[in-house]
Amino acid sequence: MLVIRPIEERDLNDLYVMAQGAGKGLTSLPANRELLQKKIQRARDTFHQRSAPEAGMYLFALEDTGLDRCVGISGIEARVGLEEVFYNYRLSNTVNASRELGVHVRTPTLHLTNDMTDTSEICSLLLSDTHRKGGNGLLLSRCRFMYLDDFRSHFSEKVFAEMRGMSDQDGRSPLWDALGRRFFDMDFSEADYLSGVGNKSFIAELMPKFPIYLPLLPDNARAVIGRVHDNTAPALRMLRSEGFNFNGLVDIFDGGPVVEAFVHNIRTVRESISRYVLISRKPIDLDVPADQRVMITNRSFRDFRVTTLPVGCIASDTVSVPPEVAEVLRVSSGDKVRLAPLKDGGYSPIQASGH
Amino acid sequence: MLVVRPAKRDDLAGIARLASAQQVRVSTLPGTEQRLAEKIDHSRRSLAHEPDTRGRERYLFVLVDGADGQIRGVAGIDACAGNGQPFYNYRRDALIHASHELGVSRPVDVLYPSHGLTGHTLLCSFMIDHALRETDAFELLSRARLLFIARHRSAFANHMVVEIQGVQTDRGAVPFWDSLGRHFFNMDFATADQYSSELSKTFIAELMPPNPIYVTLLSAAAQEALGQPHSLARKTSELLQREGFRTGCFIDIFDGGPVLEARTDTLKTIVSSHYRQVRVSDVQGAAHYLVAAGEGARFRCILTPLGEGLDGQVRLPAEVESQLGCGPGEPVLVAPR
Repeated sequence: MLVIRPIEERDLNDLYVMAQGAGKGLTSLPANRELLQKKIQRARDTFHQRSAPEAGMYLFALEDTGLDRCVGISGIEARVGLEEVFYNYRLSNTVNASRELGVHVRTPTLHLTNDMTDTSEICSLLLSDTHRKGGNGLLLSRCRFMYLDDFRSHFSEKVFAEMRGMSDQDGRSPLWDALGRRFFDMDFSEADYLSGVGNKSFIAELMPKFPIYLPLLPDNARAVIGRVHDNTAPALRMLRSEGFNFNGLVDIFDGGPVVEAFVHNIRTVRESISRYVLISRKPIDLDVPADQRVMITNRSFRDFRVTTLPVGCIASDTVSVPPEVAEVLRVSSGDKVRLAPLKDGGYSPIQASGH
Repeated sequence: MLVVRPAKRDDLAGIARLASAQQVRVSTLPGTEQRLAEKIDHSRRSLAHEPDTRGRERYLFVLVDGADGQIRGVAGIDACAGNGQPFYNYRRDALIHASHELGVSRPVDVLYPSHGLTGHTLLCSFMIDHALRETDAFELLSRARLLFIARHRSAFANHMVVEIQGVQTDRGAVPFWDSLGRHFFNMDFATADQYSSELSKTFIAELMPPNPIYVTLLSAAAQEALGQPHSLARKTSELLQREGFRTGCFIDIFDGGPVLEARTDTLKTIVSSHYRQVRVSDVQGAAHYLVAAGEGARFRCILTPLGEGLDGQVRLPAEVESQLGCGPGEPVLVAPR
């Protein structure tokens, strides 16, 4: 069985192996054991409320209970840009016009901003190659929306995600080569790594602060601004279906887009329902396709757990939960749980319960 | 004998003929005869102190062959660069991008839009008959303006500037413009250059990018051209540097050519000029001097051999005296060549 739970110290090794396999481009999870250890510690402190809510960093592990191994991870940063400075470029337009000459020129321009400061970010999604199937990626990503909604006071009203931008097989980013590199003599992958190990604001200090007029950049660099890496396209599709939209900001290194949504507008949040647990002794076939399953969460702040159930388990007030599922969710009969769709176009709990 | 004097209405055809034979356009000289006539008229009215020219006096001088009256060159002074409107340049400056934590520190070249030279006195509109380029006439025409300034010092600013034409390829392309201005003005260099001489400068304010420009983002050719003079302007530039002009941090917004700067009262011609009484006499084998006489519209300047007496008088050939139009005993301004 696959279950989402808060990350634990024992996940370090699994996490390190996954980070190594992820290669370039996953800024927030570099394959650095010491750093990962610190991240885990920060997450533990967060779940146990030993740190200020705005300093919170929530990491959820996807555990394969059969293997007793962590096979995926996803995270929420409660607030970005409070300790260090969080930079983006805003893609906007400069219009210069002369009525006298009949000239009207629109110049796309990048403005350096700190607009996402104090906003919650969903980040650090990583899934082991062995488990990229059956909606596991969706579970890892979407479980966070229910957490965001259930504990709104810990997060901003709006959440965002930075999408990985375009780079080639060798990890070269056309935007970096045309822009960042001119100011900072370093490869994109190196800059990206430094950024991941917490030096992003130092690097940003070296970046241009004045607006960048895009016509001064080569075509191949302009073309990748606001575009996602091919590997990230599915993640972007998923977020769009949740109601996330490009907010006009892009990454200062690779030009990847920032997408955002208000928590109350996120589809998983809107389409979720509450039910009371009814531990069922009747055998339930749990092995159904992803589009016939729904997510179920125990709504616990400190020990947040999520797994999936066949949609047929949902009744009008209750949800039938087999004992083994109740055990991994740490729920008993009568507890209130939350359910939400797992897949786009799959069964939604709202439909299933006749709402 | 060649004389420099203020331009008159009758000079229009001669100036136009000269301009059409030039290899490169002089951006501060209008292309159409009507505009040119206006410019000459503005100079005439500036010399006459007509009230509407106050604060935007512009003077235009011609180099005339005394023998046949042919116009062989033109040169101008704008008393206040910008002529009552902003005068645009880029100021090239360095920012240090440094990170203590990463142990990195590097200078970044930036071009800032600037009006800092507005109101300085501008030498402009220089154009000379090709046949005279390699002669003394070149120096006469250029420096005569400085004697005019010395003669009418209070009408000019304490700082002077000259825009030197920037790099242009054999095929007429301007690398700096093509890498920067073209994107914003949406026109070729020649058109923009022409507008800048003929229209109000409002269009520059409207179309020029308002933010600083990072030099490193310009094309390699544009970066190379930055602050460099056109090969044909090298001579002008060298002469002005001998006068005491220096390249500073300003460059032209259109072609990236250098802007030379100087303090008016330190220029060689002005420092070394002095008033003398004229006595007509034969002068032989003496050193050459620039000699200027007359005020305003009567201003004349000639390069001539001159004998300097101990009594504060200078001896000039009769022909020179008549060309200068100065009467006996009238003081003239002289400056060594």
